[in-house]
Amino acid sequence: DSHIQYERVGADVTMKCGSMDWDAAVTWTANGTDIDESHLNGSYLILKNVDLTQSGQYSCYEGSSWHLKYQTYLRVGIPPKEPVLMCRSNNYPKGFYCSWHLPTPTYIPNSFNISVIHGTREMVCEKDVFPKNRCHIRYLQLFSTVKYKVTLTVTNALGKNSTTLTFDEFAIVKPDPPESVVAKPVPNNPRRLEVSWQNPSSWPDPESFPLKFFLRYRPLILDQWQHVELSDGTSHTITDAYAGKEYIIQVAAKDNDIGTWSDWSVAVHATPWTEEPKHLTTEAQVTETTSASTSSFMPPPTTKICDKGAVVGSGAVAVCWTAGLVLAAYGVLFI
Amino acid sequence: MAAADSPSAALRRRDLCSRGIRLAGKMRSDVVDLLDIYVERQGLDASAGVAAVEGVPVAAAERWDEQTGTQRLLENLAAYRAFRSLLAQMLEEQREQLGDADAALGQALAAVLLQVSAFAYHLEELLRLESRGPPSEEGAGPPPPPNLGLFERKLRGLGVLRELAQWAVRSMRDLRQLAKPGLGSSSAPSLTESP
Repeated sequence: DSHIQYERVGADVTMKCGSMDWDAAVTWTANGTDIDESHLNGSYLILKNVDLTQSGQYSCYEGSSWHLKYQTYLRVGIPPKEPVLMCRSNNYPKGFYCSWHLPTPTYIPNSFNISVIHGTREMVCEKDVFPKNRCHIRYLQLFSTVKYKVTLTVTNALGKNSTTLTFDEFAIVKPDPPESVVAKPVPNNPRRLEVSWQNPSSWPDPESFPLKFFLRYRPLILDQWQHVELSDGTSHTITDAYAGKEYIIQVAAKDNDIGTWSDWSVAVHATPWTEEPKHLTTEAQVTETTSASTSSFMPPPTTKICDKGAVVGSGAVAVCWTAGLVLAAYGVLFI
Repeated sequence: MAAADSPSAALRRRDLCSRGIRLAGKMRSDVVDLLDIYVERQGLDASAGVAAVEGVPVAAAERWDEQTGTQRLLENLAAYRAFRSLLAQMLEEQREQLGDADAALGQALAAVLLQVSAFAYHLEELLRLESRGPPSEEGAGPPPPPNLGLFERKLRGLGVLRELAQWAVRSMRDLRQLAKPGLGSSSAPSLTESP
């Protein structure tokens, strides 16, 4: 008869050939390949200090008749280490989910059991079909000061292990990142970028449970982010962008009153509006202007420009260029 | 008085709700700070579990989303009236226990008590707008302080402040529900089912 046998890595394994006597003449195979007699003690197969590569099907045949007398599937593995458990509410106030994984594989099948206790009440955590290592709970109460206690136990044929998380209702609230982040230049405004986004679709009731947002942006050529916190609305206009520089922009969300910030949204890129040069002449001049913030603009040759919108903000110098000259000025970035 | 559902009443309700939400937000922030001071001054462990304390209104609500506006206001008002008495008791006990030795805790308690009183009054205003009027407080005087030892009183105080912090968050949520346009005081909102 055939069955499955689980053994720990490093263990010594002795396999008996079914009901055959110790001194019977037998042949053992591993995955169809004969095993050398040096591994035999009489009719017993001895495997010392087994490793993962020795997992497989072991069969024992009577010496002369080659009748199959015994078969087993050896699975070499390890007992489970303490699992990693995480619980989070991204759909407050509907409920929360818990997900888990093992820090290292066991190489053999594991089963997981999760219990959720709120005060004296045991709650049901409904397992998701996919992914398999996740379950979700519906809140039966809101605004409770009683902590939730979640215990996850992982069991396999070689042992078991468990971990427990205890937390408040508010502490695990973490929305998903904002969605559909869009950043666009603003026509005729070389220092502006218009950013808009949407509430994460998993957040069920943004009207009653409003989110606040954190926007961060920087030009690609710099490492330092600018941050803006926004208590309402799903759009913002950046007004201090460096003209002509490509920007990277991300948004995060948090419930207005409780919990923690979401991860950053997918990054979007945008470059502020710049004016197209009308034509080039042979008398191009390049000058460096120094200022506290950067400015980069290409004034058209026939237009007198002294427009605030085309000029740098604080510390800047307003410059007017008369018709007939094509001048390109490149600001120097001061860090 | 304007009818509860008239446009002017609706505007007044939204205005009162907005101000109430800000009051509750400030109150919550001050209660959280007070909790830190209280835990430190009373020599307690911040993570100490406190069993349900008798006489302290519990913020936890089942089927919260199904409540009508009036139910929300009445439950909030009952809670903050109770907290007003409980904080007054705590302030009295703190003065007896520590005298003037701990002005910071006394001042913080007094400041929160003031905000709780103000919020209770604000809720009464909202109830008047619902043409309900607030229930009277006659005969519902503060419960006598229980005969507890010093340590039990400290733990009870911790329980009171923790529950008050939860109530402040719940009140913000309640007032946002109340402020939703098109909802009368007697109709219950329904959360859209998320996929």
